[in-house]
Amino acid sequence: MSPLASQMVETLKATPKHFHEVVDDHPDVPWRDLLRAWGEVRAADILKRNDAGQYYIAPS
Amino acid sequence: MAQKTFRDFLDQLEAAGQLRRLTKPVDPRHLSALGNQATTACLFENIKGYPGWRVATGLVSTRARLALAMGCAENRVGFAFEEKIGRPIDPVTVRTAPCQEVVLEGDDVDLTAIPLPLMHLFDGGPYIAGTFVVSKDPEHGLNVGSYRLMYRTPRETSIDLVSPSDMRFYYQRALDQGRPLPIAVAIGVHPLDMLAASYKAPIDKSELALAGALHGAPVEMVKCRTLDLEVPASAEIVLEGELLPIGWTADEGPFGEFSQISGDVKWNPIFRVNCITHRRDPIFYMLQMPWENDWLAAPVTEAAGIQALRVASVQPVDIRAPVGSCGYWTLIASIRKRPGEGKNAIAALLSVAEVKLAIVTDDDIDIHNPDDLDWALTFRVQADRDAVILTGARAKHIDPSVKSWELGKGGLPTTAKLGIDATIPEGVPKILYRRIKPYAKDRLRLEDFQ
Repeated sequence: MSPLASQMVETLKATPKHFHEVVDDHPDVPWRDLLRAWGEVRAADILKRNDAGQYYIAPS
Repeated sequence: MAQKTFRDFLDQLEAAGQLRRLTKPVDPRHLSALGNQATTACLFENIKGYPGWRVATGLVSTRARLALAMGCAENRVGFAFEEKIGRPIDPVTVRTAPCQEVVLEGDDVDLTAIPLPLMHLFDGGPYIAGTFVVSKDPEHGLNVGSYRLMYRTPRETSIDLVSPSDMRFYYQRALDQGRPLPIAVAIGVHPLDMLAASYKAPIDKSELALAGALHGAPVEMVKCRTLDLEVPASAEIVLEGELLPIGWTADEGPFGEFSQISGDVKWNPIFRVNCITHRRDPIFYMLQMPWENDWLAAPVTEAAGIQALRVASVQPVDIRAPVGSCGYWTLIASIRKRPGEGKNAIAALLSVAEVKLAIVTDDDIDIHNPDDLDWALTFRVQADRDAVILTGARAKHIDPSVKSWELGKGGLPTTAKLGIDATIPEGVPKILYRRIKPYAKDRLRLEDFQ
């Protein structure tokens, strides 16, 4: 997993976030890099959703 | 006459002073915020990180621009749509196509190469809306519809397939047989093609022939590179792939819905993309929610209302699907009434798709004037006699009042429907509705007394 994707994973383990909050965490990252990293997190099949639509990762 | 393209309509908008070109670099995460502020359609010509790509938005976000696309007056879009679709024109197949100037297969398939926008605050990810999706069932043939896609990975999106539709039916049939459903997603087609895709045609009717009817010319189609399907040759971008046979199991949403509400997380299938084709200088179409969706819905709903009234032998004079109900949930019609036809008209209008409020007036009421409509509702309606309620009718998930969260995955909600007969009641003399009018108004002009 790329460093950016790993960073997203750690953040989502700590706090549920809407997708836009994930985006806001990385305002200077080129959009395509951000989408690729998000795709890595998605592909890992670890994301869960809460009732508000936020993403989170349950602690392992 | 030739079929018009997405680019033809951009030219038409520009000639009408309805297109704004933006040349400074714009990050894809900011496209929606900027496009939403414009009073015209926008063409973003410099997308940060995406050289060679442009993004267009707001093409039909007003009724006036929709009327421009349809070549008719604003208050006649429903009648124009209904008249044209009665003369279907079958598509033709061409061998080469602008939409296949660039072909990406295998490891080159990467959705992140497209400037997918982050559209709304609570969206579950970047979205592709404004799609023209082609699918095929071995028994029922081709279908075209419009379904949104949420980015998941460079080769996968989720697809909103919660509502009843022919493609949902096709997918269910494929799922029952444990096989994927091949689909092709065209992005950047003319609004008339989008209208045909939005139309809930009977399963044996071709949306492509309806698109031809709206154009007054056959739609040119080209065979997909990896699928036994055809797509509009003039499209800007095409995604070829398959809906995986996993059922409604992948999270999708929220999305800024055409109901003007940020929806909730839904459970939907996954679309795996196996091939991307596009023009050499592609323009991504970012359908602006809710207005573009709502104005595209209005003529389709209005035409369905006109047809339903005619089947019921009721003569429609005017009809309106207000944008406040997203061009979808409410129909207001004025009719040339014979005794009893106020109720017949209600029964007909409430049979249309998900229409849950129908109001019927006589033809002396200007249904585009809210004051006139209020007047009819006030003085021609007795609630115990003129309100009709149906229960347990088909509904859409995105209406929060149907409590779709109480359903299981893939479950379908139901709704109650209300009809109001605001025509002059039988037995009440019309003379009692004689409007006040200043004496000699037609003979005198205020300017002559200055």
